[in-house]
Amino acid sequence: MRYFIVVPALIVLTMTMLRDNALGEDSVVELRYENHRFAPQTITVPANQPFRIKVINASKETIEFESFKLNRERVVGPGETVIVNVPALSPGSYDFYDDFHQDVPEGVVIAGQPRRNLKNKENLK
Amino acid sequence: MKPYWRLTTLALLILFAAIVLPRPSAAQLDPWEFEVYPYQTLGRGMIELESLNGVVAKGHGSGDHGTSAGALPSQSMWRTAFELTYGLTDRIETAAYVNLAKPSGHDLQYAGAKFRLRGSLFDQGQLPIDLGWYIELESHRVPEFDDQKLELELRPIIQKDFGSFSVMLNPIFEKVLDGPDRHKGFEFGYAAGIYYRWMRTLSPGLEFYGGVGNIRHPDPSKEQQHYIFPVIRGALSHGIEYNIGAGFGLTPGSDPVIVKFNLELEKFLGAIFGPSSGSGSFF
Repeated sequence: MRYFIVVPALIVLTMTMLRDNALGEDSVVELRYENHRFAPQTITVPANQPFRIKVINASKETIEFESFKLNRERVVGPGETVIVNVPALSPGSYDFYDDFHQDVPEGVVIAGQPRRNLKNKENLK
Repeated sequence: MKPYWRLTTLALLILFAAIVLPRPSAAQLDPWEFEVYPYQTLGRGMIELESLNGVVAKGHGSGDHGTSAGALPSQSMWRTAFELTYGLTDRIETAAYVNLAKPSGHDLQYAGAKFRLRGSLFDQGQLPIDLGWYIELESHRVPEFDDQKLELELRPIIQKDFGSFSVMLNPIFEKVLDGPDRHKGFEFGYAAGIYYRWMRTLSPGLEFYGGVGNIRHPDPSKEQQHYIFPVIRGALSHGIEYNIGAGFGLTPGSDPVIVKFNLELEKFLGAIFGPSSGSGSFF
C-alpha cells in the first residue's frame, strides 16, 4: 500500500527537479587557488540570486574547497577546475577555505551587493 | 509561491507522512549504524575511518526485542562498527564495515560485515532537492545477534538545505536474501535528520530512526521501533569529526534509551579518477 504513496511522491519530486533543471543559467564567479592562497579572497555577489563558483586550482597541491556556511565541499586536484553551485543567499557573509591546509587564509563570499559587482559571467553548458 | 515549489512541498509532505506516521507494524533499523546519510559523498580520493558506537542504556531483558534481532537481550548491549570509506569519484564512494558487539556479561564479539556503494545524482544545488542513492549487502552469520544471514538494503537519499538548516531523508528498503525470512518481501525503515549549521565545531540536530517491518504486512504498531535522537556534531582539528546523541524509543517495541557516539577521521589518500563533469549526473 505504501508503494502507492511513496512511488508517486518520488515521481513528482523527480519531475519537479527535472523541470527546475532547465533554469541552470546562473552567473559564474571565478576563484583561483595559487601560491597557497585563494584569489580573490572576497567574492561579492548579489543576494537572492543563485550563482556558481568556478574553482581553478593552479597550484601543484590538492585542495578541498569547503564552506561550512554554504554546506559545500569539493576536492580539486592540481590543474583541475570544478564548478560549485551555490543557491540564492540571504544578505550576509559566508566563509570558504581549503580544508586540507589550515594555514591557507580563509576567504569570504559577501551576498548583498549590486549585481554589477560579479567579476565574471558566463553560461556553462 | 512558484508552482514547482508547491509541488515539491506537497510531495515532501506525502513522503514524510508515508515514512513517519504510525502504522500497524515493526521495523528494520541497523543498531550498529545510527547515521543519516547526506547527499554529499566523501571527497574524491579521500579515505575515512569511522567508529560507530552505541550502547543500550535502557533496553529489553530478553532477546528479539528492541534493537536485538537475535537470542541475546538488548539491555546494556554495546555495539561498535568500524567503517572504512573511500571516495571513488566526486559522486560515488565505497565502504566496508565490520560490526562488533559486547552483550552484557559477554566479551566483545564479531557480529557481521557490510559492504556498500553510495552516490549522489547531479551536482549539489543543481536541482531544487539533492538526490542520492545507496546500496548495501550485509552479512551476519552470527545468529545470536541477527538470524538473517544476508540482507540487501536500498536507500534513496533526499536532502534539502533551507539557509542554515539541512533536512535529510533516507527511506530504507531491506530484503533478506539468505535466512529464515528470505521468502518475505521488502521491509521498510527510515533514517532522517534535521540539522542546524551553527559552528564548525558544534552544531545541533535531531535525528529519527525506525522501521515498520514488512511493507505488505507491517508489524503491529506496539512492536515497531521508532527513535528520536537529539544530537550534536562538528568537526575538530586534523580531519576529525564527531556525532554524539541520546536516542529515546517512542514505542514499547523500541529500546527506551540508546546512547551513540560516532567518530571519524578523514585524510586525502589520492584520487583514481579526475573530477566529475558538471554536465554529468551519475559518475
